[in-house]
Amino acid sequence: MSVRSDVLLWAQRIVAKKDAAPHVLLEIKADCGVDDAQAAFHKLARMAHPDLHRSSLEAAELELVTTAYSRITAAYQEFRSQRMQTMRMQPIHDTGRLPTINQEAGRAVPEAQPPTPSASGAAGAMNSKALIYYRKAELCLRRGDLRGAVLQLKMAIAGDPASTFLRTALTEVMAEVGKTP
Amino acid sequence: MAVALGIDLGTTNSVAAIATPTGVEFILGPRGERVHPSTVAFPASGGVVVGADARRYRLTEPHHVIHSAKRFIGQNIRAPLVQLAMTGVRYKVVEGPNQQPIVVVRDRRMTMPEISSHVLLHLKRCAERQLGTQVKDAVITVPANFTDGQRQATKEAGRLAGLDVMRLINEPTAAALAYGFGQDHQKVIAVFDFGGGTFDVSILRLNGEIFEVLASDGDFFLGGDDLDRSLAEVLAAECNRVLGLDPRPHPALMMKLMMGAEAIKCHLSENDAAEGEIDGLDLPSGGTGKLPFEVTRRQFEDLIGGYVARTIDVTKQAIRAAGFDIRNVADVLCVGGSTRIPLVRTRLAELFGKEVNTKVNPDEVVAQGAAIQAGSLSGGLSSGTGMGARDAVATAGHSSLAHGNVQLPVGQVTRPVLLDVNPATLAIQTAGGFTERLLDKNAPIPIERTRVFTTARDNQTRVEIDCCRGENRRYTENEPLGTLQLENLPAKARGELKIEVSFRVDADGILHVKASDQVTGAAQEAHLQVLGAPSAEEP
Repeated sequence: MSVRSDVLLWAQRIVAKKDAAPHVLLEIKADCGVDDAQAAFHKLARMAHPDLHRSSLEAAELELVTTAYSRITAAYQEFRSQRMQTMRMQPIHDTGRLPTINQEAGRAVPEAQPPTPSASGAAGAMNSKALIYYRKAELCLRRGDLRGAVLQLKMAIAGDPASTFLRTALTEVMAEVGKTP
Repeated sequence: MAVALGIDLGTTNSVAAIATPTGVEFILGPRGERVHPSTVAFPASGGVVVGADARRYRLTEPHHVIHSAKRFIGQNIRAPLVQLAMTGVRYKVVEGPNQQPIVVVRDRRMTMPEISSHVLLHLKRCAERQLGTQVKDAVITVPANFTDGQRQATKEAGRLAGLDVMRLINEPTAAALAYGFGQDHQKVIAVFDFGGGTFDVSILRLNGEIFEVLASDGDFFLGGDDLDRSLAEVLAAECNRVLGLDPRPHPALMMKLMMGAEAIKCHLSENDAAEGEIDGLDLPSGGTGKLPFEVTRRQFEDLIGGYVARTIDVTKQAIRAAGFDIRNVADVLCVGGSTRIPLVRTRLAELFGKEVNTKVNPDEVVAQGAAIQAGSLSGGLSSGTGMGARDAVATAGHSSLAHGNVQLPVGQVTRPVLLDVNPATLAIQTAGGFTERLLDKNAPIPIERTRVFTTARDNQTRVEIDCCRGENRRYTENEPLGTLQLENLPAKARGELKIEVSFRVDADGILHVKASDQVTGAAQEAHLQVLGAPSAEEP
């Protein structure tokens, strides 16, 4: 069947062009936009995604198609991330149709502070990721589980390494652990 | 044509389904239930009990009831999160070979994949009984932020259950597939998956049969269990005040309060206040007690506000990573039981500026997507394949197809193409303790990338390649994955030896690392054994 041989020929071509530039692998122009790259990638996915050939290809052939397809995705990712970086530096008055990274000043994204569960100064001293672990640490302390509290505080610090509040809290709890046998 | 099962293997509950040309059919448990608790009990009477029956042993034999195995599977036991999870369970977990967590129950040592394989085997047997045919192939869903080790271990669990795991797919992607299959959508959607143990969010572009994940993010240790626990703490304080008894040192009492908290949480999703009493509390002094409670929705929302805020923050991150304006998101899909909480829906509506989609069943949509993908991969969904899954069902004389099952667009034969992403940045350690990124977070998979590295010292005949996962520039700040070694390299001046390192993430999201030295051409290869993943050694 021709679909099968088309895919195999394409895969051989891609694997042979190992060190080619992303746009060459995607078979698009070097100065294309992200939309064009995405369209090309979707077209290739419709033709060559290994899932579509599971039952029709031999194991070695499927491996070849998978390798070729895996390099296409890498090429697409590289092309896209280069473009994204360019876009970040675009002037604000450029209102092109491409989605851009930093349009978040718009009304739809309220940058409000996360609401915090209870009245406590802790919320301001760390980010939201750290805060949930800090809350879990508080729960541990309330039930007298010092070891659990230490672990939770360490997780909180991993979430917000800059917080001096958390480091102080950890030092205090560690001191408590030292006191209990 | 074999029947291929789609399985949503959850932290607390699992759901299985099959897709046929006429629709999605759910696999029912012994009492006709669609949702199967992911609980495995080893009762004193012997044997292994799985599912709804196993939950009954939680109060009588808590040390022999294994629940939430998903929180341990494929993880490095030394990771702080795993240490934390160990404080939350009543059964015994110890360190096994390759730093994997091992369950010790009734003097038996079992790996986490073994535990999960009991759940999978249970589903397989229910399916075989219901369909009257052998079931071998399966697609299993995993949280989008599952690591390589967790994915490998999940596949291993499938293998132990006698299943051929055709593919692991991410839960949010499965939900999107169930939502968009055969609809020929052209739009961007967000899938917000807040389950019992994990939280995931994915932003997808739907382009006909293509489901492209643009970005995915999540928090592996944030789920409905956390919400229950914060409410249970309040109940514990109430217990202390009313009954003059601090229940916290008494595990059985706390378990009862946790179960009460879960019920109150569910009640508050429909009502503004919950009032009643938790009875049958076995007091240590003998006899039983009752704990009256009165919780308003407002009080509950104050308790869980921090957790919900975290999910909203992660969602914002994912939208930013997708490179999209939030106003371009056409639909917000809610998946997982915790999205029933009104506060979660309100916050999401505020964030996206539109009401969330409430048409999908948050508990079942993931299994539906898995079933569609399983049908597609096995060929059971396409027309003209001869004996299809439908025939297998028909032979069994089964008539429940029409009842409450989900209809698929009839005549739809285009196979869906899922373009999923790599959940975390993968890198290797270079001189000076820094990292060199090989694969970025949110890169499409399957993907392969090769980089050439060189030696740092003269006459270096051995290299160690430390692989890690994480965004940080410093190696030690990331999560270590394991180390590859190349030995007996030819002695050369530094910088002359060329070592090719290739990172490949397959369509299951599993990492394969290969290193070879290019000078000798002998292509000495080493493969990575991920820490915490199942190993060849006996536990």
